[in-house]
Amino acid sequence: MHDTTSPQRARRRGGARGRELAPLALTGLRALLGDERRDPQLQGRDRLIEHLHVIQDAQGHLAMAELRALASYMNLPMAAIFETATFYAHFDVVHEDQSPPPAVTVRVCDSLPCRLAGAEALHERLASGADPAAVRVLRAPCMGRCDSAPVAEVGHHHVRYATAEGVEAVVDTGHVHPETILWQRLDDYRAVGGYRLLAACRAGEVGFAALCEAFEHAGLRGLGGAGFPIFRKWQAVRAEPGPRFAVINADEGEPGTFKDRHYLEHAPHRFLEGALVGAWAVEAEALYIYLRDEYPGLHRVLTEAIVELEAEGLVPPGYIVLRRGAGAYICGEESALIESLEGKPGKPRHRPPFVAQRGLFGRPTLVNNVETVYWVPRIWEQGADWFAAQGRHGRQGLRSFSVSGRVARPGVHLAPAGITLAELLEEYCGGMAEGHRPAGYLPGGASGGILPASKADIPLDFDTLQEHGCFIGSAAIIVLSDQDDLRTVATNLLAFFADESCGQCTPCRVGTEKMLALLERDEWDVEQLERLARVMGDASICGLGQAAPNPVTSLLRDFRGELEARHLIAKG
Amino acid sequence: MSDSSSNDSFTLTLDGAEVSARPGETLWQVARRAGETIPHLCFKDAPGYRSDGNCRACMVEIEGERVLAASCIREAAPGMVVKSAGSERAREAREGVMELLLADQPEREASPDRSSHLWAIADRLAIDAGAVRRRLPSRAEREAPTVRHVAARSAALPHADGHDATHSAMNVNLDACIECGLCVRACREVQGNDVIGLAHRGAAAKIVFDFDDPMGESTCVACGECVQACPTGALMPATLIDEAGRGDSAVADRTVDSICPYCGVGCQLTYHVKDEQILFVEGRNGPSNQGRLCVKGRFGFDYPNHPARLTRPLIRREGVPKGMDPGFDPANP
Ligand SMILES: Cc1cc2nc3c(=O)[nH]c(=O)nc-3n(C[C@H](O)[C@H](O)[C@H](O)COP(=O)(O)O)c2cc1C
Ligand code: SF4
Ligand code: SF4
Ligand code: SF4
Ligand code: FES
Ligand code: FES
Repeated sequence: MHDTTSPQRARRRGGARGRELAPLALTGLRALLGDERRDPQLQGRDRLIEHLHVIQDAQGHLAMAELRALASYMNLPMAAIFETATFYAHFDVVHEDQSPPPAVTVRVCDSLPCRLAGAEALHERLASGADPAAVRVLRAPCMGRCDSAPVAEVGHHHVRYATAEGVEAVVDTGHVHPETILWQRLDDYRAVGGYRLLAACRAGEVGFAALCEAFEHAGLRGLGGAGFPIFRKWQAVRAEPGPRFAVINADEGEPGTFKDRHYLEHAPHRFLEGALVGAWAVEAEALYIYLRDEYPGLHRVLTEAIVELEAEGLVPPGYIVLRRGAGAYICGEESALIESLEGKPGKPRHRPPFVAQRGLFGRPTLVNNVETVYWVPRIWEQGADWFAAQGRHGRQGLRSFSVSGRVARPGVHLAPAGITLAELLEEYCGGMAEGHRPAGYLPGGASGGILPASKADIPLDFDTLQEHGCFIGSAAIIVLSDQDDLRTVATNLLAFFADESCGQCTPCRVGTEKMLALLERDEWDVEQLERLARVMGDASICGLGQAAPNPVTSLLRDFRGELEARHLIAKG
Repeated sequence: MSDSSSNDSFTLTLDGAEVSARPGETLWQVARRAGETIPHLCFKDAPGYRSDGNCRACMVEIEGERVLAASCIREAAPGMVVKSAGSERAREAREGVMELLLADQPEREASPDRSSHLWAIADRLAIDAGAVRRRLPSRAEREAPTVRHVAARSAALPHADGHDATHSAMNVNLDACIECGLCVRACREVQGNDVIGLAHRGAAAKIVFDFDDPMGESTCVACGECVQACPTGALMPATLIDEAGRGDSAVADRTVDSICPYCGVGCQLTYHVKDEQILFVEGRNGPSNQGRLCVKGRFGFDYPNHPARLTRPLIRREGVPKGMDPGFDPANP
């Protein structure tokens, strides 16, 4: 007799708690991801986002049963999986009480350049015309194609100069794959001298000291936004004890920026050579490339280019690791990018320690922007003197300006550092777009503040805009005209930051939302806005929250008259 | 970064006075030894709690740095010149952060813990939450979602809108949550239970159990560490919360330091008692538990007032009444 020792109720209470693993769910997952029992690397935490992509691509969303199975597959707590899956905009986590999204997703870019080009009306027309059971129409941040605004994305296919009819036609034909890119293959690049610098470095013909000296002389600075001299970063990382890593920041998310896409599409191997030289310079164990998910066509290009390199024996298999972002601007910030590479939500880390000291997997890490390393072989080829001799108004080097907005010829314009907006407009952009008169411009994307047209003659470069309360950042120039409404500009930018805030720190998580609400009011409370701007600028953890109030402080500084005329602030 | 090979203390300047610090000490700890407790929310001065530096209530000004630094996470360095109480910028930042948080808090009288750490800091900084609400827009003022990729969940769920009473011992009210992540560290790092996560991003950031499941259906083992860590009352012992969701952690009329009566580990704890009833239990920093408890020590405290409890010794002697509760049924205890 043993019937009374363990009552049914008590036994159940002692059993496993929480969501149960559905039978067969693991089997299904292994069919998609591979068998983690044979290849334990598949269980690495840093694979989490890649796995989520595979499931999302296969199923169109992330269902609870799959996520629960993934927790077992990766031996991770459910909470950890959920934190990462819900952080990124390109993952659709679907609960039992929700319905999965329809088969087709249309994303309409609504960052500032596209907004100026009519994205709002486009979104409205598409949303009202679509059958919600078959198509969903979402708003999305800058897709890095602002020179052909407005832009929409059907599945993974980007539609430039988008019209409602054009997008609907793409939806009807079911063309959801990335557009084809014609690129310079390995053979072609080698035929014009490609990979000679890398070979020379590896053969000992070019030493580390000589490399640093050359790039110090050339004056090549980080082009991701901060402008840190590349040779100093190499030296700092190399001085730390190994193992070390090299990471390429191809997350290009600053609204108005599309230069990295430009170089990746035109010269992927020159970029890869520069990246590999950097990895060589810091003796990196591996080279990671973090590519934003908005560039699916480039994902194919880079995958193939890496295959070419491996096949030719130029890199050991697996040395270059290509990773996909998942729709989060903040992952362009280097420490958030590293968190994301590790499979976590992209929340920036505190400094110190700097990523050069403790970065990827806790190891010293070199993080460089795409364009920065693109210049390494090119400058070596053409000579440090040549690069150093470029520049205007006392500045040195070349800058790739991504110009968008109300200009006749938007696009990536390679121009001397220190050029003024007036010169850039006249010499490179064919002047203003027809019927538009300049009213102001954003010198550094959404983050760099706004300058009035009266300041069209100041040199554009690192260090030259601080005194005007702005910065050049990634050199994304968005030109505004007399037809643009300043409240729309301000709310558009703040809505972007509030949507993209990682949510870690109070001044940014709450501050961006409150600032947006203050800007949406009929009348602006200048005192509150200015105080909030100081708190965000002083107390946010990273550059996103610190720079988010820039457009507002700029407007309150240099556009008082316009704001008064618009009745946003009281005359005074 | 401090050189770990040296354990020698060094000096720095805090608000004009020279103070000493040891390698690895944070500015918050240095200030504390110098007699100043810098306002703090996401930092808990208890064993096992890592600083996370996210709330930004503890900002200080460091000479030569462009922005302010969070004192709870920034390590002191030799020669640093730090301004805390004497910094106008730091004062504005601390107050500004508190205002941002208070703008969306429930009214104090309606909040799940009117005596929470958060309200204590608000008092200390003399912030009038009502005035803040008149100045700053509330979260509800915006109609469009601030973070766009979050799909709404059904209002019929037992934990809809962050109000979750599905757990018998703990009550969740995320209206009061400030996303400080102390509960995440409590559950993940201090107790190793890994139930709580901080999901989504930006203004949509949200405390979740497992896959945003009701707490009572999650893998929670009811250690209560998260409740003890929460500075706002968003997580509260269920015994302190009334039907309207209001509560007060200072309602006890006395506290009794004791040792958990269950197992041999000897976890130290404090009983909060009102009208001779135990209201709730807090872990105390003893050598075997360092402030932590398990479900039994934390929530197994209804037996002292159970009618079946023996309050006098039973003596095996003829003719002496055994004093057993007459209503007690051994077959169905
Ligand atoms: C909010 C934020 C977003 C950023 N986004 C990018 C980006 O999209 N691409 C990039 O290369 N750098 C970006 N950065 C700068 C990086 O943190 C980092 O400085 C850069 O990748 C370093 O490379 P570089 O020295 O070659 O410029 C961003 C910084 C911040 C604060
Ligand atoms: S400033 Fe914004 S993006 Fe940066 S850590 Fe804070 S919340 Fe995250
Ligand atoms: S009670 Fe313990 S196990 Fe449950 S959620 Fe809180 S910390 Fe985690
Ligand atoms: S529930 Fe409490 S401890 Fe957890 S994040 Fe919110 S306020 Fe902090
Ligand atoms: S592509 Fe739309 S703003 Fe850049
Ligand atoms: S207490 Fe220092 S940032 Fe929260």
